[in-house]
Amino acid sequence: MKKLILLAVSAVVLTCNLSAQTYNTLWIPDTMSGTTFNLNLVDTFAQFRTGNQTITAGVDNKFWGPTLFFNKGDTVHMNVHNGLNDSTTVHWHGMHLPAVMDGGPHQVIPPGTTWQPYWKVTNNAATYWYHPHLHEMTQEQLTKGIGGFIIVNDDEESALALPRTYGVDDIPLMLTSRRYDNSNAFVFTNTAYGDYMLTNGTPDAEVDLPKQYVRLRILNAEMERAYNIGFSDNRTFYIIGNDGGLLNAPVSVTRVILAVGERVEILVNLGNDNIGSTLDLKAYNNGQAFGFPGGEPGTSGEFGSLLNNIDFNLLHINVIAATNSPVIAVPSTLANNTYWTANNATVNRTVTVTGGNPGQPQNPFGFDNSHFEFNTINHTVNLNDIEKWTITNSNVFGHAFHIHDVQFKIVSRSTGSVGTHESGWKDVLYLPKNTSATFVAKFEDYSDSVHPFMYHCHFANHEDGGMMGQFVVTGGTTGVNEVDIASKDFTLYPNPANDRLYISFSDPSMQAYYVRITTVTGRTVYMLPRPQLQGGIDISNLTAGVYMLQLTDEKTKITTTRKFVKE
Amino acid sequence: MKKWLLRYAFHSVAILIVLIILIVLQSFRYENKSVIGTTISDFSLRNIDGKNLALKDYADAKGFIVIFTCNHCPFAKLYTKRLNELNTKYKALGVPLLAINSMDTLVYEDESYEKMQQRAKSQKFNFPYLYDNMQIVGKEFGADHTPHAYVIWKKNKQWTIEYSGAIDDNGAEPTKVTNAFVANAADELLGGKTVSMAETKSIGCAIFYRK
Repeated sequence: MKKLILLAVSAVVLTCNLSAQTYNTLWIPDTMSGTTFNLNLVDTFAQFRTGNQTITAGVDNKFWGPTLFFNKGDTVHMNVHNGLNDSTTVHWHGMHLPAVMDGGPHQVIPPGTTWQPYWKVTNNAATYWYHPHLHEMTQEQLTKGIGGFIIVNDDEESALALPRTYGVDDIPLMLTSRRYDNSNAFVFTNTAYGDYMLTNGTPDAEVDLPKQYVRLRILNAEMERAYNIGFSDNRTFYIIGNDGGLLNAPVSVTRVILAVGERVEILVNLGNDNIGSTLDLKAYNNGQAFGFPGGEPGTSGEFGSLLNNIDFNLLHINVIAATNSPVIAVPSTLANNTYWTANNATVNRTVTVTGGNPGQPQNPFGFDNSHFEFNTINHTVNLNDIEKWTITNSNVFGHAFHIHDVQFKIVSRSTGSVGTHESGWKDVLYLPKNTSATFVAKFEDYSDSVHPFMYHCHFANHEDGGMMGQFVVTGGTTGVNEVDIASKDFTLYPNPANDRLYISFSDPSMQAYYVRITTVTGRTVYMLPRPQLQGGIDISNLTAGVYMLQLTDEKTKITTTRKFVKE
Repeated sequence: MKKWLLRYAFHSVAILIVLIILIVLQSFRYENKSVIGTTISDFSLRNIDGKNLALKDYADAKGFIVIFTCNHCPFAKLYTKRLNELNTKYKALGVPLLAINSMDTLVYEDESYEKMQQRAKSQKFNFPYLYDNMQIVGKEFGADHTPHAYVIWKKNKQWTIEYSGAIDDNGAEPTKVTNAFVANAADELLGGKTVSMAETKSIGCAIFYRK
């Protein structure tokens, strides 16, 4: 009987709905693992709509590039080649690493250049991501599709009975939307919102998921829109992880709000669903109060969108047979995090959202009445300090506050208690209008008085508009090595060189803070932050000719240039 | 959320007036931006055969199809075969095709003169491929992406832009082209008509001009 009713219902749906919904198979990004990662950024195009292709960009030819798998404790080496038509940067969102490796607006990679940052992975198992961070170009380059997931594994997470077969019961989901002009090109100016969903870059995405517990790693990679995520039958699901790691215990919910830049890992039970049945993961964005990003009225214009203020599909799920060894329960406990509390903090800072008010079109959103300036350091943090930051938004709209370098713990919100869904390590917090939030973080391991870290609103249009500040972490280097060294001399050998170029310092205590290799016409070919020089610099890919090597000394930050010939 | 003004201040008459003025100014700016009817002065650029080439070298030309393209742009590369076909057809009708590379050769290693020669040879270009390394001609046309197509026509002994924009409306799938903008413009001009769709958007890789 049930089947008959279903049949009848589907017949009615099919006949009534002349444009019956068709779906496209969800793109599961390719994977890269190991300790050396070659990311080649290129311009490309994709067929998103009927008619002309859309100009896109990405790693290895894909709108939304490969997922990088890191193991906690490994040192990862990145070879980022900018094959784009324009300069860019690549930021490792959520990673704890030296500022000079961070890929913020200061680490500009010109076209044709290879940037080689490296760092030891100290982050907990969780879902991170990489994306461009070039000031005033972030929205355009994100819109084009440059970015990808980073999944960190560690022993603690691996010991748990959690789904982790990538693409089978462990699915990365990148949520974003795009607007197209009449030639099918992406619109990225004067546009806060897209009109059409692209889940992992797939329009109207569907996926087959096994009849068991499934893990979804969801990232909001939007320009501005927030998502109020839930399932079409309002089923309960379990939040197991936040931006920077697993929670101590799962939290059961039916909805979770995800602001731009935030990640959430959830478990959903498909074990009681019939094989062949379907389910939708949806954004329940209808009826949100004004100030919710994507809650504005109107279907067009800078702040209007076809997806504003409505409920819409993120992913259509088809339930298929269970795998051989399915996860059939939610673990009762997950991690054993000890979080900082407000009492741990020895330094208090406040950051206030300003600008952007009605009648002030020339005063975009900022922090503390200022906007991003390349050479202005807004805060100086002492290495190893535990700090409490209070972000206040007595303003007209919600924001997504992101800070580089650290994972923080939200300790209080003006709206009452901190949500259980955001009780873990975070690097982005949603800051609704007329609220404040306080977090505590420890700034450890990496100090650098030259290269700053960023804090900013992660709305790409706000960030590009200057809603961004900078801080440096300093200290920790006082001691025996502070003796002034008179000579900063070094020589290059062999010269001419063929495969590898070695640097010989006149003072053996001298270290390279930065090495940049350029052609005689000034085109940068290599950017090497804090290079490990023992094995020399691999120059085998350079074409024959004369090059300049600029070396910045670690202690004095003095830059010296030497010429060499590649044979 | 910067321009709250647009959504909530419409009750303020003063602001409305300002807005109207802004909109009017904006539309003027757009009209001024149109390049159709602009005259183009002759130029002389080095072709891949090592010889310089100028418009006046084509004494009998009624017009030209001018394509700003480059070596490294994936979207521009899709059009190689179509450029040969356009040149074969329209050169015979007095409208030869000229390809010009105005990319910044200091920034892009792939855009060197030697690599232009290699590309023209390997892709069997049947048209000139000119080296605009000082970016003078690209600036004069206002070419903003590769490929950016123009059809210029001789009027009163001067060359005027009669079409600017995309080559057609499908880069990767030539069989699905529904509007061959450049061919249509050339046909209309050869038939003594004005171009019905004179301006479209060129899409591809941005051409950045050195300051």
